[in-house]
Order: sequence, then structure tokens, then C-alpha cells
Amino acid sequence: MGGYLFSVFVLFAWVPHIYGLWPIPRSLETGSVALKLANSFRITANVPHPPSDLSDAISRTVGHLRTDKFERLVVGRGSADSETIQHARELKSLTLALAPGSPVRSISDEAILPIESRSEEYTLHIPSDGSAASIEANSTLGLLRGLTTFEQLWYFFDGQVYTLEAPVSITDSPAYPYRGLMLDTSRNFFPVTDIKRTLDAMSLAKMSQFHWHATDSQSFPLVIPGFTEVAAKGAYSSLMSYSSKDIQDIVSYAGARGIDVLVEIDTPGHTAAITESHPEHIACSHASPWSQVAGEPPAGQLRFASSATANFTANLLTAAAKLFPSKFFSTGGDEVNTECYANDSQTQSILQSTGQTFEQALSGFMQTTQGALEKAGKTPVVWEEMVLEHNVTLSNETVVMVWISSQHAAAVAAKNFRIVHGPSDFFYLDCGAGEWLGNDVSGNSWCDPFKSWQKSYTFDPLANITPEQSHLVLGGQQLLWTEQSDPSNLDSIVWPRAASSAEVFWTGATLPDGSPRNVKSALARLHDFRFRLIQRGVSAIALQPLWCALRPGLCDGDS
Amino acid sequence: MRTFSSLLLAVVLATLPPAHALWPQPRNLRTGSDKLKLSDDFKIHLEAHVPQDMLDAISRTEDFLKKDHLQRLIVGRGSSDTNALTNAKSLSELDLYLESGADANSITTEAQKPIESRDEAYTLNVPNDGSPANITASSTLGLLRGLTTFTQLWYEVDGTIYAADVPIYTHDSPAYPYRGFMLDTARNFFPVSDIKRTLDAMSLVKMNQFHWHVVDSQSFPLQIPEFMDLSIKGAYSSSSVYTPDDVKDIVAYAGARGIDVLVEIDTPGHTSVISKAYPGHIACPEATPWDIFANEPPAGQLRLASNETTNFAANLLAAVARMFPSTIFSTGGDELNANCYDQDPDTQKSLNETGRTLEQALDVFIKTTHKAIEDLGKTPVVWEEMVLKHNVTLNPNTTVLVWEKSENAKTVAQKGYKLIHAASDFFYLDCGAGSWLGASPDSPNWCDPFKTWQHSYTFNPTANLTDDEAKLVLGGQHLLWTEQSGPSNLDSIVWPRAASSAELFWSGPGGNVSHALERLHDLSFRLQQRGVKSIPLQPLWCALRPGVCDAVPHTS
Repeated sequence: MGGYLFSVFVLFAWVPHIYGLWPIPRSLETGSVALKLANSFRITANVPHPPSDLSDAISRTVGHLRTDKFERLVVGRGSADSETIQHARELKSLTLALAPGSPVRSISDEAILPIESRSEEYTLHIPSDGSAASIEANSTLGLLRGLTTFEQLWYFFDGQVYTLEAPVSITDSPAYPYRGLMLDTSRNFFPVTDIKRTLDAMSLAKMSQFHWHATDSQSFPLVIPGFTEVAAKGAYSSLMSYSSKDIQDIVSYAGARGIDVLVEIDTPGHTAAITESHPEHIACSHASPWSQVAGEPPAGQLRFASSATANFTANLLTAAAKLFPSKFFSTGGDEVNTECYANDSQTQSILQSTGQTFEQALSGFMQTTQGALEKAGKTPVVWEEMVLEHNVTLSNETVVMVWISSQHAAAVAAKNFRIVHGPSDFFYLDCGAGEWLGNDVSGNSWCDPFKSWQKSYTFDPLANITPEQSHLVLGGQQLLWTEQSDPSNLDSIVWPRAASSAEVFWTGATLPDGSPRNVKSALARLHDFRFRLIQRGVSAIALQPLWCALRPGLCDGDS
Repeated sequence: MRTFSSLLLAVVLATLPPAHALWPQPRNLRTGSDKLKLSDDFKIHLEAHVPQDMLDAISRTEDFLKKDHLQRLIVGRGSSDTNALTNAKSLSELDLYLESGADANSITTEAQKPIESRDEAYTLNVPNDGSPANITASSTLGLLRGLTTFTQLWYEVDGTIYAADVPIYTHDSPAYPYRGFMLDTARNFFPVSDIKRTLDAMSLVKMNQFHWHVVDSQSFPLQIPEFMDLSIKGAYSSSSVYTPDDVKDIVAYAGARGIDVLVEIDTPGHTSVISKAYPGHIACPEATPWDIFANEPPAGQLRLASNETTNFAANLLAAVARMFPSTIFSTGGDELNANCYDQDPDTQKSLNETGRTLEQALDVFIKTTHKAIEDLGKTPVVWEEMVLKHNVTLNPNTTVLVWEKSENAKTVAQKGYKLIHAASDFFYLDCGAGSWLGASPDSPNWCDPFKTWQHSYTFNPTANLTDDEAKLVLGGQHLLWTEQSGPSNLDSIVWPRAASSAELFWSGPGGNVSHALERLHDLSFRLQQRGVKSIPLQPLWCALRPGVCDAVPHTS
């Protein structure tokens, strides 16, 4: 076999490279034999009573294989392969099977399991002789991941769908279970179609978690049963809100694509929009100048010292939690502004009458709200300030999102909380586009510079984390805060950059051959991923001139 | 007393709704505070014997008025206007007048005139009593500019189209005659539809020059009948080309919108791709390591010392010049790499035979190629190196694009050349997105940081220039080099930022970013209504509340 491969290399003078796979599997062997999809190609699931979302996933894969029409990124594009394709054997079928004893559950059910118990591993085999290919997994979610890998192996030319890399043998599983993307739908609004397109792209990169920062001070688009007045008055308009039906639609669309939806209702800060319906619960509402009482305009925070406000919040969060089947629920907790409360006479009089300090009152608020969520069966998620800047009592189960600086992960780990990496110095997609505040001529964004895909790609999830703490790292995500984004630039600001963390947290530190993951070899695959997104209607941006994309390595800075 | 009157003035101004929508801001503008509805039977009238592109501009205007569906950017989005609208007068007629004695040329003809002889001035008058509005100009191009201002006056609520600031009177004309946008279609390709959408957006902000950097080292998408092999072998694919019909289509589309097309065939550098069809004319084609032969990959430059290559280049430029009606033509001239020629045996042989230095050979090359386009009635445009770094003979009419840094304008002006501001430190739209070169973990982009709209907007076109030197400034432009762009992000990387230079060079410098922001929001939203993916500058919450999201907040 080895001798045969060598002679192919000599005869045709090309070296086969796996350029299509993103994230690259953790164990991968490929050959250099061409194989084309038979017209009759079909995928069968050897699964008793296959769940409907598995059948749907199979149909989508068959559809993508036919409609991607993606020509290989080489000089001459697909025409370079035309002779090889003519003589290639045909692949007639792919068979999916669950390992013996595996439960048969829907992909959606698997995707929303508690994060540590999700099973995404799979094996994929494609023989070079045209005999049936196979994917095996311990769960339908693993089968979905295998199908996604399978889709990325195929190119198109002249009506033929083919691969040049048979035989293929892959054993794959993620290094980290949390591989996410955060979208802020409050600063500017995004219709459901934009969110679904984003979920499609996430699924292609095997991301597992959509962190939906649904509400903030600028608008409250989430329609919550029992609290519909909050969105009725706090959304930008009735058309710019998410109904219960929209939410169900998004959650099930995500679930079918192996993605869990972690919703965030940021509290007690970032809540000015609630003042439109419940002014009694908001301190320093729209206070001016905003810069003394808020991180950005408009000012306004929940009066957390008030037990009425704490109960209102707990009930609001509980009602919101019912809309989302995920085990996770984020209560936010970033950027609580103390000056706002220092100037709020109601807060001050409550603190005086109860004899509580500010921090004691905050701890009481957190216990009330987190307690309500835990009663609803949720695991709380908070931003890092709740453990690093405040002295509040949190459940040991709480997951902490590190955002201010990647340096802060070690301090969170030292407190023995589980971590999701979302540091602004690596993963904030909005940085580098200038100051969005008005009347600031020379201002740049607070988190300059722009975080290039290369920067994100070189993130080390275990930097300054001891081996004993490493189990606390659940994974990480890139984040889009949308002060300067809306549907006009959603795709272009997110893709393909957000795929860099998807590979960091799926593939881990090393490539299948054991060498360190590196930007030099990643670029060709990221081009491939980007062009495939384009074929699927996601407006991912060019990383280089096409001339470079067709000639891996020739536009390297060190060449 | 003084304090009192200025306070009073502040109160009066605060109650007057400003003309939020106009971009660029007219140079003389008086607005009132009445509302005026657009009648269902609203019509635009113009005397007979008008050119077809003027008639088309009128129907486009009527169409925009009905289809923009733009709600005012205020809390409630105009719902608070509904009461006032019940009693508002209706406008049913806009009359266009060409001043007596003016030529009824097509807009296209007017737009393609030599830069300094274009006439874009107009007067717009919209009464508040429902009597006909009118636009007067001494050219159809001026009428087009007036129509564009007119379309920016209108909003919609509950199906009613209305203006909020009548009566309106403006006598308007541009401060600078060149207000442009440059697009590179060689690093990545853009279909004709993307270029047309860009021209539509340019026209809305009264830009008048599309600088088309059509070819470069990476690809040669321009199909030239006499040199078909260049695009057959040098375009990214057979569908990634601009045919002569496409060029005509783009030029006509631009012309009808008051935009002249300045095409650029960058020479003698930035020509690697020519080696695919004519290997004999290119030195150091795709040589490695590229960084000692070129500023970016792939390396390759025209063998400027060769007579055959010089004649080839002259013929090529002439062939392209014949495809474009503009009176200006760019021969490029940036980033010439001497090492490429030092290591090219052919070039060294030519230099030895003629006894010329490289600079002397370059002088001959430039004279020959420029003569070829001057013989066709074109004025050459070059990048700044041709006057700042090289010692070549140029026609004194040559127009120079200042790009490396804005302060180089001074030296160009001192040498007496007309200049266009296109400085990377103010107007490069591609800066700030990280390095596009491979294998570079975390390198900055060469022209970091990102150029914000605020930064471009506060550019001073006559900084450090004497009064005489200032007269050499034709205007300026934003530029998009497309190493990291394609149709996916064309709109979002260009708009609304590129509009900042459009206002700077129309309204003149000195604009206030705080006041500009609310009008720029309005423009961005109107562009979105017209299908251009202009990005938001702020959360919608801020866009509806002018001044409230300022870095230094207004105190009430």
C-alpha cells in the first residue's frame, strides 16, 4: 500500500493535502486515491427508529453534497482534476451506525445534555475501492459531527462530486466540549433568518454552543411569557423582537445542528431597557452624563438591594429559563456600576434600613436569582466580575466567562470555578473598528487592535492553568458585541474569523500528526472553509487575494 | 445681555428640527420647520428636448421617493409626526429649469468633461405652501445633484411621504471638483452588479469620480480586444472578467449618475500577471522570496528598459484608453522595485546597450507611455512616487495621487502638480484588519489603525499648503484595496465610511463630527433602504437620540 501511494506521488507529481477539514480531526489518515460520488449515492442510518432530526441531517448532507458545487482551491480549480475524476471509482453509499448499546436519542436531545456528558466522538472510514463508507458514533450527535466532516471532503467539477484523498480513516472527538459563538441582539437587532444562517455556519465548524446575549440596556427584544410588557416597551419595535415561537424555532434549529442555546439575561447591570416597562426597578435610568454611572449609554441598572426588584428579576429569569431547554442560563453580572447606586436614593435608603453593605445586598440578589434558576434545573453562568470583583456567594456549579483579559482565567481557576474563555484580547470580534461613541474624533475602539484570525488561533486555553485545574476549562468562544454591527455586516465580521476558536477548542494543541497546530498550515484549510461558507450563502470574507488562496504558502510572510 | 441672547438662540435652534437627511451638507442652506406631504400624484416636470439620461434620472428620483420607505430616526420613528401631517400641505410638482443659454447636454457628457470644467451647481427651492418646488441649474449635471438633494428630504410614516424641514432653499455647489472612490478589482474580483450598486451609493453622496484600479499583479480581469490573451490567461477565471460590453455598461451607468470613470492600468510595477500571456515583457515574474522583489506577492514588473516592452505598454495603455471616454487616465507608477531589475539579466543587458541608468530608462518608458495616452487626448494621472521618488519628465498637467502619507501633498504641490488626496493615513478603507500574509501569527496591518469615518472627516485638504499650492488640490477619495475584500464585504467595508470624504470635498473642510453623525446615520439607513449593506455606526438606541451617545455627553 505504501509503495502504491509512493508511485502515485511520482507519477502525478502532486501531494494530496487535506485542505477541506475544519476543524481538523484529532486523528486522521488519508490516501491519494480519487473517488467520486455515484449518482445513486445514498446515506443510510442503521439506527432503529432513527429520530427525525437525524433523518433531516442526512437529507441536509445529501443536499450539501449536490449543491455546494465547490471547486478545489488550486490553480485551474476543478479542471486540474478532470482527468483524475474520469478514471475514479464511485462511492455508492455511506452507512451510519451507533455503537452497540448506545441510546437512540435525537440530535437535539444529545446537544442539550449537561456539557460534560455530551458525546460528539465519531469514526469515519471511506475505503478507496468504492465499497461503502461508514460513520460510527456513540450518539446521534456524534453521527452528525461525522456527517459534517464527510461533507468537507468533497469538491465539484463538471457535474462530478469527488475527493482525491481516499482512503480516509478518521477517529475524532473534541478537545473541549464548549465551542461557542456569542451574539448580542440588543445593541442592534438581528432577524431570525440571520441567526439561523449563523447557526448553519457554526454547525459546519462543529461549534456546540450559541451564547445568545439577548437583552441589554439599549433594547429588550425577548418576549417572555408573563412579562410581555418588557419587550413590548423595551424592544426597538414590535418587529424587532423574538416571540416565543421565534425562540422555539431558533432553539430547535440549533439543536438539530448539534448546538445548545445558552441564553443570557444580563443582570443587574445592562438593564436600562427594563425601565421602559418597570421604571420602579431601575436605578439611574438614562442618567446623564452616562459616563459616570455606566460603561456605555444608556445608564440604568436593576435596584438589586430592593427585595421587590430581586423577586421581579428571579421571576423574570425563571420565566425566560422555561423558554430554553439548555441546562445553562446566564445571568450576566458584568460591569455593575457602583456610582449608579451611590446616587440612587432608594438604594441608599434600603441599604440603610437593612444595614447591608453594597456587596451584601448584591450577594443576596445573586442568591435569590441564582437560586430561582437552580430550582428551574439550570446551571448558572456569569461573567468574571461575579467571582473576581465581588464578594458574592455562588454555587460551585457556576460557570464563569472570562472576558476582560485572558490573564484572568488563572484567578478564576484558582477559585475552582469552571471556565469558558471569551477574552476580549483574543476573541472579541468587534474590536478595531474605531470608537462608536459620538463626538470623538481620534478615538479607537476600547479593545484595539482588531483580533485577527491568527491572533485567536494562537490562543492557549491552558496558559497559566495548572494540570490539576485543566479540567475546569470547558472551552471558549468568539463574541460579537453589536454596537457597530447589524445584519449588514454580521457574516463579514464573524466569518471566517470565528472558526479559528472552533478549531482551537475542537482540535486542541496538536495536529493529527502530533505537530503543534500553527497558522502557517491552517490558512489553506481556512480558505477552503471560507469558500465553502460562500457556497452556502454565508458572506464570509476573503483572507487573501484569490491568487494566494490558490497557491498555499506562496503569500506567506516568511516565504 | 450677551449671555441671554446666546441662550435664547440656543433655545430657538434646539426647537428647529435640523435637516438631518442631507449628505453632503449643502453649502448654503435655509430650512424651516413645517411639514410637507408628497402628493400621490407628485410629478417632476422638465422642458422638452431633454436627454434620455436626464429623463431616466427623473424617473429614478420618482421611484426613490416612493420606495425609500425611510422612517425618521427619532424615538417613535415619525409616529409623533402624524398629527402635524393631517394639516400639512401637499407638494404635487417639482419643476426643473436649465438656465437660459445652458446646453442641454446629457448628464453623462457633463460628467465626463475635464475635471475643472464640470458644472455641478444647482438651486433648490421647496416652499411650505404646497406650491411647486423647483431646481435650477446651468447643466443637467447640476439638475441631477439637485434631484439627489431632493430625494434626501423625504421620510415615510404610515404610508405618508413627507418632508420635515420646509421651506427649504439651497444654492449649492461643490468645494472641490474631484470627489472619488477607488476600487481594486484585481486582488479579488467584483461582478458588474457590485460595481453598479457602489456607483448608486456614490451618486447618492454626489461623488463624481470612480477610480477603477482594474488590474494588478494578481489578476487581469479587463478584456481588451487587441490583447485578449491578457485576460484569457490572467483573469481568475473566464467568468471573472470585464468584457468591453461590461465596461460600456459600467461607464454609461456611472455617467448617467454624474460619475466619470478614471481607469488605471498600473505600470510598470504591479504587472506580474502579464507574464502569463507575455512572459518576455515581465522581469522577476513570481520570483521568490517575493519580499526582495516586490511589496507583496506575486513579484513581477514590466521590463521598462526594453524598447519592445515600452512599445507594448504604450499600445496596451492606448487600447484601454480608447475604451474609456474620460479625459483622465491613470498609468499608476507606484512601488517600483529596483532589485527586481537589478537581478533581471534582460534589463541589465538593455541598460548596458543603451548606456542608460534605470532612472533614465524609466524616464523614456514614462514619456513613451504617457505620449500614447496624451495623443488620445487624455491627461495622465500617476501615483506620487512618479514625482517624489523618481526623476522622470512629466507633462505639467499630470495629476498626482498622494497615497503614502497625507503630508506628501506639500511636496507634490511645491513641484507644481495638481493633486488628489488619497492618503493611506486618512482614506484607506482596508487598514486595521490584521495582516493578510500567511504564516504571520499576530502581525499588524501595515497601515494600522482602522481609519474611522471621524478621522477621514476631519482631514484638512490644504494643511501646510500656501494659497497658491492649495489651488492645485482637485479633491480626494477613499480607496479600497481588496486583499481582504470581495463581494462579501464590499458594502460593509466601504459604507458609510466613504461618505465622509464625499462631504469633506463637497461641503469643504471644518465640519463638526458631532453634528455630522446624525446626518450620517440618516444616510446609512437610506443606503440600507436602497439595498446597500451600509453598517450601523451605533446602536439604534443612539441613532434615535442624537448627542445622547456622545463620548462627552450633553448635559441637559
